[in-house]
Amino acid sequence: MTRPVAAPSGRPPLPRARGRGLAVAAALLCVAGLVLLGQGVWIPAKAALAQGLLERAFARTLAGEGAVRPWPWADTVPVARIVFPRLGEAYVALAGSSGQALAFGPGHVEGTPEAGEPGTAVYAAHRDTQFRSLGRLVPGDAIAVVRRDGRTARFRVTGRRIVRWDASGLDPHAPGRRLVLATCWPLDGLVQGPDRLLVEAEEDAPTEP
Amino acid sequence: MPTRFVPDRSSRPLPCPALSRNLLIGPLVAALVAVFAGGQPARADEAGSGALVLRREGGAPVEAPRLKADAAITVSGPTARATITQAFRNTTAEWVEGTYLFPLPEDAAVDSMKLVIGDRVIVADIRERQAARQAYEAAKAEGKAAALTEQQRPNLFTNAVANIGPGETVLVQITYQQTVRQSGGTSSLRLPTVAAPRYSPAPPALHLASDGPAAPDPVPDRKAIAAPVLDPARHGPVNPLTLSIDLKAGFPLGAVRSATHPIRVEDVSESERRVTLADGATAADRDFELTWTPAPGAGPTVGLFRERVAGAEAVLAVVTPPTDAAPAAPTPRDVVFVIDNSGSMGGASMRQAKASLLVGLDRLRPGDRFNVIRFDHSMETVFSDIVPADETHLDRAKAFVAGLEASGGTEMLAPLKAALQDATPDEAGRLRQVVFLTDGAIGNEAQIFSAIASGRGRTRLFMVGIGSAPNGYLMRHAAELGRGSFTQIGSADQVADRMRELLVKLESPAVTDLTATFSAAADVTPSQMPDLYRGEPLTVAARMPEAKGTLTLAGRIGGQPWQAVLRLDAAADGAGIGKVWARAKIGDAETARITGRLTADSADAAILQLALDHGLTTRLTSLVAIDATPRRPHGARLARTDLPLNLPAGWDFEAVFGPGGEPVPAKPPVQRRAGAAPIQTAAAQPVALPQTATDFEIRGLIGAFLLGLGLWLAARARRLA
Repeated sequence: MTRPVAAPSGRPPLPRARGRGLAVAAALLCVAGLVLLGQGVWIPAKAALAQGLLERAFARTLAGEGAVRPWPWADTVPVARIVFPRLGEAYVALAGSSGQALAFGPGHVEGTPEAGEPGTAVYAAHRDTQFRSLGRLVPGDAIAVVRRDGRTARFRVTGRRIVRWDASGLDPHAPGRRLVLATCWPLDGLVQGPDRLLVEAEEDAPTEP
Repeated sequence: MPTRFVPDRSSRPLPCPALSRNLLIGPLVAALVAVFAGGQPARADEAGSGALVLRREGGAPVEAPRLKADAAITVSGPTARATITQAFRNTTAEWVEGTYLFPLPEDAAVDSMKLVIGDRVIVADIRERQAARQAYEAAKAEGKAAALTEQQRPNLFTNAVANIGPGETVLVQITYQQTVRQSGGTSSLRLPTVAAPRYSPAPPALHLASDGPAAPDPVPDRKAIAAPVLDPARHGPVNPLTLSIDLKAGFPLGAVRSATHPIRVEDVSESERRVTLADGATAADRDFELTWTPAPGAGPTVGLFRERVAGAEAVLAVVTPPTDAAPAAPTPRDVVFVIDNSGSMGGASMRQAKASLLVGLDRLRPGDRFNVIRFDHSMETVFSDIVPADETHLDRAKAFVAGLEASGGTEMLAPLKAALQDATPDEAGRLRQVVFLTDGAIGNEAQIFSAIASGRGRTRLFMVGIGSAPNGYLMRHAAELGRGSFTQIGSADQVADRMRELLVKLESPAVTDLTATFSAAADVTPSQMPDLYRGEPLTVAARMPEAKGTLTLAGRIGGQPWQAVLRLDAAADGAGIGKVWARAKIGDAETARITGRLTADSADAAILQLALDHGLTTRLTSLVAIDATPRRPHGARLARTDLPLNLPAGWDFEAVFGPGGEPVPAKPPVQRRAGAAPIQTAAAQPVALPQTATDFEIRGLIGAFLLGLGLWLAARARRLA
């Protein structure tokens, strides 16, 4: 690329035009950059904001109001609070694992029982928001799930494995009362991939009132 | 949505002896190949087709050769009882545990399993799943012969057989109850004993019951037989299948044929046939399918069967509407279409729903009336009341539907109530129908069901499940309660066909207002009779102390009253009627559990009780057979005295072993390598995990980069200006 040089003859239209073109390109790039940056910031911000609203809605559910939508136009309701006591973290999970629900919090995967019921309950969340913590769970860690009916099911991590999304090998009707938390793998991956990290836990005592 | 890849034959991992040498690498390679081939490694219903899988602790299961199979099926009206006997051989020099995977029709109930190892016969009994598993594991550890049948999925079962001696042949006899499929007047029966292309075991992937040293390669001549692997269709194991079917249709029979195999049909009576394979035996390389049609008749034909079970009698009545029941002039209809445009319907689901609704609108005839309701968290009706299906109204409705977009919540109750609202509940001569298109992604099912039950009146509710519909079971129940039907539309290319089927049903209800009344006390299922649509039979099962008195079926065929009184003492003996009744009750309990009418625990208790009473393998119960005496390593001689040597009825050694009675073929069939398929079978339809990665980091990075570039350019531009 030839560098635009100020014309010695005192005729600057060419550089000026080129400068204007550059300014337009610069403006476009800035706008595109800001939009992308905004989206990039909005996704985690939305997840963080939503948890506050979900926490409020779930508190009302626990108080006996039944299914409470966290905001009037929501297509899902909070169904459980998943607590990692050792990490000091808690997240309110939503019904369903559609992209819409997962944007706000962990989703209770359709077709699996509620935590603490016979079978394998599966909750999934984004690896880069709520379930980044899955990487820090180790076998023996406690996981508590506060259910809609106020009961708390307590689980203990038994292990973790990496599976493909369509070959999880998870049987929602398997005997025993189990909990599986799922998120994308690798945890620090930049692009979306087919692998999922599963943290498996088993209920260690019958649910308490 | 658990995307189901169409199995791509070309992507099936090809055997690669060099790589499969290593027990651990074998499955890994297979899995990798499957991953890189870009598809699901294999579908369970493809792979688990009746092959014994020998397992080593921690290793992937591999299939052993299947030798011979015999199937004896009795069709009693709407049910079939199948007894499958298969002979397998442990070709290794080790004591092994075999796991036998077999697919069955979704509604099949496995209720009996018998195992013969060498000359020992072990009959299984039903126990709670956990208890059965524990008993089996204990027997396995003690060196006893044991077998365990578990339901993995409603259509996938496993048999585990412990302590099979070196070179021994194992016979497994499974008996199950199957429902005959009916569609448009044609009944069909499918026998899923297909031998999908088999691969011989990878080297010693066996469970060593003796914990001995590594087993030798079960296929020492694997290199010599490598060529046949290339074309499984031509070089597969012969795997002969013999087959006999006693067909007691319950109605005068028309044509009996098989599209899959040449058959020989003997006439026994007007309604009975005996079917055998024309060639005597066939290579079990595909499903066997038998279809039969009733001889044309004027009134509904009724099949009546009875069976004495555990001190009571089970009765089964089958009503087939006449094939020429279509009324000369179609009854005018009032149709309310309800379409879900909530956020969960976004994307493909919404397009399918809209397309389906437009198909429905197009089929309306002059004289019909209609309305359209859409809902998310709000609802909107196109017209304030039902309007004639003329061009003006239809155009307006179509424009409305075309403009729908998916967003918002799913408030199903209000639109449902609005659709059921009937201004003229007593009007005769018109059909009132609600066609409800949704993905069923709701949480207040109980409310929905009670609204249907209390508000349905003369209206019939037809549920159309759009998309992946995880709530399919609920949709089915809603349709049941609403006396309509449930149609599942899973992809855009199904819209035309499925909607046409549904609309044909909508236009010609054959039998309505059905009631079934027993003159004696009886526990009847279903508790509420559905309408019968074109081609559908009514199946009523009941359990009563004694089959006496009458069963009165009453209803209306195309508006004309119809009644039939059946004398129960005239019922023919039928096999498995008690199981049909029990399975229907178990289905009711499963529905009740899902709909919340019963809690999970009480529904499970009810299912468990029914399963134990009737010996059915379910989600909660398994069949387990345990030998009384340890046999490993002393062999069968000691144990022989403890067990009856009589072969149970139904075992046909000649069929299984050939007329020579030679118990074990001199040479095992050609073996080929186990592909990735068996690994997958353990998880027939695993939970599909959602996408749980966002791209905000990469968006942020790119955004920051672009912003930086833009600012840099801006600085340059300013300097130039």
